[in-house]
Amino acid sequence: MWAYQKRLQYPVNIRKKDLKMAKTILTQYGGPAGELAAAWQYLNQRYTMPDDRGKALLTDIGSEELAHVEIISTMLYQLMKDATIEELKAAGLDTHYAQFGRDLFPTDANGVPFTMAYIKTSGNPISNLESNMAAEQRARDTYEHLMDLTNDPDILGPLSFLRQREIVHYQRFKELRNYYLDNLK
Amino acid sequence: MDNKIMNFQNYFTNQPTTPNPVGNMNFNKCLYTPQEKPSDLYEAYQGFIRGNMSPGLYNQYKISKPLDVEPLNEREQLLIYVDALTFAAHDLNLYLDNFPNDKAMIELYNQYRIEADRAITQYENNFGPLTVNSEATNRYPWSWNESPWPWEM
Repeated sequence: MWAYQKRLQYPVNIRKKDLKMAKTILTQYGGPAGELAAAWQYLNQRYTMPDDRGKALLTDIGSEELAHVEIISTMLYQLMKDATIEELKAAGLDTHYAQFGRDLFPTDANGVPFTMAYIKTSGNPISNLESNMAAEQRARDTYEHLMDLTNDPDILGPLSFLRQREIVHYQRFKELRNYYLDNLK
Repeated sequence: MDNKIMNFQNYFTNQPTTPNPVGNMNFNKCLYTPQEKPSDLYEAYQGFIRGNMSPGLYNQYKISKPLDVEPLNEREQLLIYVDALTFAAHDLNLYLDNFPNDKAMIELYNQYRIEADRAITQYENNFGPLTVNSEATNRYPWSWNESPWPWEM
């Protein structure tokens, strides 16, 4: 089971609202390379991993991705907090407002709702781990694009932290993939 | 408590930072074989602000140096202590899932785990429970539901 900790893995204190950045960062909440997709891809795959290394690693990284969902959600909440209707319109978030008001909702940057069809799993630990390596690479790409779009250190801090975690996770998945290639006969 | 925070900050700020020697395209680390020694790793805070405890794996993008986490108040200052130590333990946790026979790293994991537990107790004594099964819930009125929640500044 999971136990909630009343803190973020990395603190988020965004002092300046930025609706346009909120719209782009939405994709790391409910987009194809987003944190929600990563969390569920790994937690869904862990049941059939062939050894203790894999069961542990997918549980632990999957759980960390849930903490990343919370970091991204917090960024979205703070970036959109107190936005006026005019500001929402100017950023193209009037469509989001029409459907969801001021609630969060997992979509990509273009408003396409999250779907579990994003998650990759195919019943083979090597293919699954290679899908996970690719998922980490795509998430890293996306974080780099997001970092290109802002100079606000309050936004760059958490984006940079999350990007770096993709690099570490990629490495851990690759080590496990290589270990299985050498040891699963 | 103030002294402890000060000591902790000195402890962090005195750690040397290792510049990334490889540039911006080394994220793939195709030839990277982990031969981590505890002495090769960043100290907790330096690893935390980078999001990576391992200098050999660290890769920076856009920003010229890792951004310090700036606490807005005393509560956040203490929480960063918790965040950093918990992060250090967690990053070693992922490594140990793959390398369960690395005795030195298990010892370092447990050092960080104990330090993190101590920091959590110190935070909770001053600012309320971080988990609902904490000793800090044993007070009146019920403290678990008190703001700020993590998404609030």
